[in-house]
Amino acid sequence: MNRHFIFLLVLFLVGFSLTSCDKGDITTTTTINQSTTTINTGPSESEIYQLLIETEKLSGMSNFNGVLISESLDLGLPTEYKGVIITYSSRNQDIINNQGIVTLPNSCWIESRKQDGITAVPNLNDNWPVVVDVTMEFMGQIRTAKLMFLVAPEIGFSCNKYLG
Amino acid sequence: MTFVVIIGLYTTNNLQAKPTIVYTDEDYERLNAVIHHVENVLKYGHIYNEDTKLLPDAINTLTGEPAMWVFPNRAKVPYSNLANQQNFFRTLVALSQVTGSQKYKLEAMASLGEFMLNYQNPNGLMYWGGHRVINLDTLEVQSTESDNGPHELKNMLPFYELMLEVNEEATLKFIKQLWTAHFEWDTADLNRHGSYSTAFNTNVFGQNIIPDIIQFDSDGLPIIPDDSPGKLPFVNSATDLAYAAFTLSDYTGDPAPKIWAEYLMKQYYLASNPNTKMTVYQYKSTLVTKSPQECAIPTYTNSGCGDRVARQFRDFGLIARESNVQWKNTQAIYVDNILMLLEAANKYNIDYFVDWAKDYIEGYLDYTYIRINGKNMIIPMFNDGTVVYGYTTPEAGYYGPSNMRIGYVEMPTTYLLPILRTILSIEENSEKEKLWNYFREITETFGLGDVGPLGGTAPNLNLETAIDDPFAMMTMIELYNDTLVLDYLEVARTIGNNIVKERYHRGFFVESEIMLYSRLDQPETLALLILDGVIRGISSNDMPYYLADSGYIHGYLLADDGVTEDRSYSHRYIYNKTIYDWE
Repeated sequence: MNRHFIFLLVLFLVGFSLTSCDKGDITTTTTINQSTTTINTGPSESEIYQLLIETEKLSGMSNFNGVLISESLDLGLPTEYKGVIITYSSRNQDIINNQGIVTLPNSCWIESRKQDGITAVPNLNDNWPVVVDVTMEFMGQIRTAKLMFLVAPEIGFSCNKYLG
Repeated sequence: MTFVVIIGLYTTNNLQAKPTIVYTDEDYERLNAVIHHVENVLKYGHIYNEDTKLLPDAINTLTGEPAMWVFPNRAKVPYSNLANQQNFFRTLVALSQVTGSQKYKLEAMASLGEFMLNYQNPNGLMYWGGHRVINLDTLEVQSTESDNGPHELKNMLPFYELMLEVNEEATLKFIKQLWTAHFEWDTADLNRHGSYSTAFNTNVFGQNIIPDIIQFDSDGLPIIPDDSPGKLPFVNSATDLAYAAFTLSDYTGDPAPKIWAEYLMKQYYLASNPNTKMTVYQYKSTLVTKSPQECAIPTYTNSGCGDRVARQFRDFGLIARESNVQWKNTQAIYVDNILMLLEAANKYNIDYFVDWAKDYIEGYLDYTYIRINGKNMIIPMFNDGTVVYGYTTPEAGYYGPSNMRIGYVEMPTTYLLPILRTILSIEENSEKEKLWNYFREITETFGLGDVGPLGGTAPNLNLETAIDDPFAMMTMIELYNDTLVLDYLEVARTIGNNIVKERYHRGFFVESEIMLYSRLDQPETLALLILDGVIRGISSNDMPYYLADSGYIHGYLLADDGVTEDRSYSHRYIYNKTIYDWE
């Protein structure tokens, strides 16, 4: 009877503390000592989520958003932040690969002409937009994001691929 | 306190009983603001012309006078367009529900009754929509487009339940003629413009279903026909047609309208990109009927010169079609249409509409949704995933001037409802997870806090959010209805208080303190009443439902310079005026 009562009490306290964490308490580790019982719950789901948000904001992954990249380089995209694993999937791996290495393209993005389909408008749309999909993961929890890069073609690039 | 909440939740989740909610002074203050707004609209709306129960579309909050459409000849017309007042009618019915006073619903019925009795063309079409208004001075029908402006509805989704209650015969005739006037049964051409001269067809919906318009190429990609002679099957018009047909089948028991509505919606589904799942604004392009000389002028954007995106964005090749654009008119595609699909799915058990809604919205978010500087944004692209971000237009065209750089498009809060309602309509949790994660990211970025993991039963919300937005509020209400987690209701209350503080001025709801006009179609009052009803224990399912607030008038008017003639929209020339523009 007594053992049952202690077991129920422990269950209640664990449930109570878990629900409290979900309501936004900042404690990251909850330890309950009941003579012989120690339970380490770790960070709550909500706290992990906040860490993933922090990763997106502070890891440096967005440093090149909106910046025109005009040389081949390593973007130095972070792959880890406070234990969060960050992976990248580029939608144009010829220009930016999944490791963030930029290779300047040797052609323009789009060859532009006026609506007559004949009159060229040179250098109007040379720079390539490249979208990179980001996955941030910590303890099985995932948050996604996207990055947008603008990459200029290399010097001497060609631009003769009109689609219109 | 926490203990009490835990017990409360345990009780509600297990016994399916709603928690007891205390009606507070703040709750009453919000309701009081809505009542004052409604009373002022009715008072000033009726004072202007006491010979009619019709109301103006919008009221000048400084003078109480109706908003005026100023024609190029300087004639000022106070206008009533009941297609643009549907949310006000829903507000009146909802207000009667929460107050127990029938007078508000009776006002709605009187206005609709007078309208349906006197302003229905013999062919069945109502004198309302994009190009027809009723002049509140003369009570005559007036066209804003030309002498014979067409019938046009784009996502107006009338309050058919009330219309049927007021005048069943007129409502049923209208719904039937809506299809006859706008849809061609043998080609599936859909014209957003319907003629008031088209005879009523007694055999409407009696045709056999025709083969699908969309065929596929060898790569499995949809072929968008370019054979429509100036009749553009815009999804916003199709949404209205489908909604009307579903209503008709439900009311009469005749399955034919529903079958045609499903056929119509299927064409958009088939025209969607099968790889990205992103869908289309239209399933046909227009046939070129104008001369090369006329069409050589880039600023001449008549659809008789062919697809307007193919002209202005021809650099992109074949993907550049109006149907495939994912940065303009997306509210019509991903908000209004999806809300209608889900409404039909839930009401009429069309399960595959939920699948389509999921495909559309999930595909769209997969490819386009990005957070930039803490804001929810859309990457402009075509529906095959071809990015348009950063593109500079070589010449002017339908989509804007030359040298226009295409940038991100801000995602409005209106997207919250279709995403949430899609999630709530999906049965399997595993199918919900991805969309829920997007929903979680989007709500958090809007400043609502964290809705937590799938299911939303463990949120960490921003109870002091500064959002003053009715769509965010309705989202919180629907989350509360689904989870019974009181925090959602508290956030909804906070948003409601913010709405009253930021948008209730001079006795009217306005978009912001400085805006001159109060539009009858604004969604704020309906949203506030749905909240009030939920607090009182009335399920939001039992109250008028929010579907759209897309009302507008389009036509010729006098530009702000007082000299030039322009062809534009009420939102650009009337509802953008501030109190500082008024002399």
